[in-house]
Amino acid sequence: MKNKIKNIPLSVKISGIFIMANIFSLVVIVVLLLGINSLSRRMEESYQDNLHLNEAIEALDNLQRAMTEYLNSKSTDSLSDYYSREQAFSGMVQELNERITDRTPDRMERNIKFMSEDYLERVAETIEAKRGRNIEKYRTSYEETNRQYEYIKAYMRSLNEERFAENSARYTALARNFRRFEFLAMSVMIVVLLGSAFLITGLTGTIIYPLRELARTADEVSNANFDVELPASSGSDEVGRLNTAFRKMLISIRDYIDRLRTSMENEQIMQKRELMMETHLKDAQLKYLQAQINPHFLFNTLNAGAQLAMMEGADRTYEYVQTVADFFRYNVKKLDAPVTIEEEVNLVDAYISILNVRFSGDIHYDRQVDKRLLNVKMPGMILQPIVENAVNHGIREMGDRGRIDLKVYRDEDRVYISVRDNGKGMSPEDIEKVVACRWESDEKKSDGGGIAMDNVISRLKLYAGREDVVEIRSGGSDQGTEVIINFTPHEDEEIEDGE
Amino acid sequence: MKKKTISGKKLFLYLILTAIFSVAVLSVAVIYFRIYTAEVSDDSYSRTFSHYYAMITDDYKSSFWQSVYRGASEEALEDGVFVELFGSNLTYNYSSEELMEMAISAQVDGILVAGNGREEMTQLIGRASARGIPVVTMYSDNEDSARCSFVGVNGYNIGSEYGRQVIRAREELLRLAEATGNEVWTGQNKRVTSIAVLFDDKTSAYDQNVILSGIVDAMSAQMKNSEFDIRTVAVDSTNPFSVEESVHSVFMEEQVPDIFVCLSELDTTVVYQAVVDFNMVGKVKILGYYDSEKILDAISRGVVFSTLTVNTDELGRFGVKALVEYSEYGNTSQYVTADVIIIDRSNVAEYTKKVEEDEE
Repeated sequence: MKNKIKNIPLSVKISGIFIMANIFSLVVIVVLLLGINSLSRRMEESYQDNLHLNEAIEALDNLQRAMTEYLNSKSTDSLSDYYSREQAFSGMVQELNERITDRTPDRMERNIKFMSEDYLERVAETIEAKRGRNIEKYRTSYEETNRQYEYIKAYMRSLNEERFAENSARYTALARNFRRFEFLAMSVMIVVLLGSAFLITGLTGTIIYPLRELARTADEVSNANFDVELPASSGSDEVGRLNTAFRKMLISIRDYIDRLRTSMENEQIMQKRELMMETHLKDAQLKYLQAQINPHFLFNTLNAGAQLAMMEGADRTYEYVQTVADFFRYNVKKLDAPVTIEEEVNLVDAYISILNVRFSGDIHYDRQVDKRLLNVKMPGMILQPIVENAVNHGIREMGDRGRIDLKVYRDEDRVYISVRDNGKGMSPEDIEKVVACRWESDEKKSDGGGIAMDNVISRLKLYAGREDVVEIRSGGSDQGTEVIINFTPHEDEEIEDGE
Repeated sequence: MKKKTISGKKLFLYLILTAIFSVAVLSVAVIYFRIYTAEVSDDSYSRTFSHYYAMITDDYKSSFWQSVYRGASEEALEDGVFVELFGSNLTYNYSSEELMEMAISAQVDGILVAGNGREEMTQLIGRASARGIPVVTMYSDNEDSARCSFVGVNGYNIGSEYGRQVIRAREELLRLAEATGNEVWTGQNKRVTSIAVLFDDKTSAYDQNVILSGIVDAMSAQMKNSEFDIRTVAVDSTNPFSVEESVHSVFMEEQVPDIFVCLSELDTTVVYQAVVDFNMVGKVKILGYYDSEKILDAISRGVVFSTLTVNTDELGRFGVKALVEYSEYGNTSQYVTADVIIIDRSNVAEYTKKVEEDEE
């Protein structure tokens, strides 16, 4: 039953309510009209019995006249007239009430009826006597009928007056009731109007309720809240269908968002994994390199060599081996913590002297170091690779003409370290590549164990927290190259101003 | 899910409310309408009776006959009979005889008629009983008629009562004369007490004689015949003003009677008015008839000495009883007497109170 109601289309429901309200009003109006109709009919009927009585009086008069006429003329016409009059009057008399009640008009009617019957009998007797030429009898009889006629007429008139008074009273009462009924009808109409309004409001509200719920939910959804409670499905009317569609749409949107989120998460995971792979590769490479050069072993071996050279009195050998040992000792040190510029410069010194021994040539090495900056901290293994690069790519094939100039100076709050060679020089493209850390692959392989420039630059960038840490200047082919690094000393370091 | 059922229930509730509301409004409207229309049609209030008696008198408007009618009506209602004061609803005034004719013609179940001794009435009574309508004469009789019963007061009894009242009135006149030293009453040649009995010319000679002999017998028992002089005065009651004329002429006589005995209500009031007009209050004693308000008032003021009234209620009741009895058993007592009541200064207040209570 409930579901049946729910499944009725909305338009039918709403029009149904209005039709119902209208039918209800119609029924009330019809009832009221019937009431008014019956009242007015009764009002019309009020004087009906007066009219009947008047007719009866007329009939009585006619009969009396007809009888007198016959007694006068004894004509056939008057006799037939008498018979028809007699018929008419006796018919009216038959209809009169003969009950005895405590209502005066009723009793008067009864008396009129009996008196009339008596009168009719007497009239018949009179006519009979006349026809029988019984003169004596019809004369007395006629007198008597005349008297009775007067009595009946008087009685009828009195009844008429009685009735008139009664009917007037009734008419007045009816008229009063009519007005009262008018008021009642008006009140009922107002009540019905209010009731209908109440019902229509209520019922429409009930029917529209799911729609309102839907609108509320849609509002929330439009405010990007997809986790709203789903509107209740309500039957299969228009609202119900709308509701269902909305539910489906909401569910689809939720699904779609979920799928999107999952795919994005997957992508992120993939990226992360790729990064991890690279890191691990680097790590592996490093481990591999570290494993190749066991610095401790090398260092100890070299120390032993130096001692041996000293014992044999080969001073230069001792010195060389000692330098090499120092060079490697630096490598043994943990380089993850910053070192001083002095240490870096010393390493470069050691490196150059080793090279000079190795290649029995002389690399002209000159350095200008602001001694106040010697204790400034910087990342380790920076200068040596730069110098190594300068030697390998710049001056290797120049024999004893090659030269390296190292400068450490300060400008404002920055510390500058410049490594300049007079070698092959670099093309601007190469410079750009190196600075942008895109110098890779083949260079790496050919050179083996060295630390690549990109590594150096990357570390410097990280240390300085800026990009413009390296500047490479070259005048072009065979014009030499100058690599200038700069960094800002960390605030807790104090630059010695003493010397 | 929950919301769904609530909404459904709401809808259902609304439907039920609609139904209840419409039924309520409609039924209220219908009930109101019924009540309003029922109020107008008074047919339902009428009561139906099996028998119908007509009460006929010349003078149905007088409080005497109204009172008789009340008694008769009460008695009739108990027996399921309706008594009508016949002719009271008619526009014209008809004589008893005419009304009799009508009642006979209307075939009522019984007739109570104030007898008048006239021959015409006697004939009509005969005609009624010939047509099977029992007739009871009331208050005064048509003795030779075919009436089944007479309900009235005994004329002789009335006369005796009046006689006793005349003696009392005379005693009071004497006391007053002694107190005032009036020679006429106290001296050697004590005057004879003059008594006038006013008879309606309608009253039969027989009735007059009966009443008169009642008065005389009662007086003779206590007084010498030489002490009073009694005479009858015929009052012309043929038209409404003739009574007054008749009484007036009595007062114009040289010797105004000391005591007036009035045998009708009208006579009483007219004499009373004359006494006042002729400034004879206290000098003339009035023995009245009937207990109209005016007469009772006059008694309490001392203008009328006493009044005699028939127990009207009883009269009416006895009349109806006689008719009912006759129609049930075919016979009834030929002669029924109603009580007579004397009202004077001593009991007038009490009586007035009682009458007022009865009328309520």
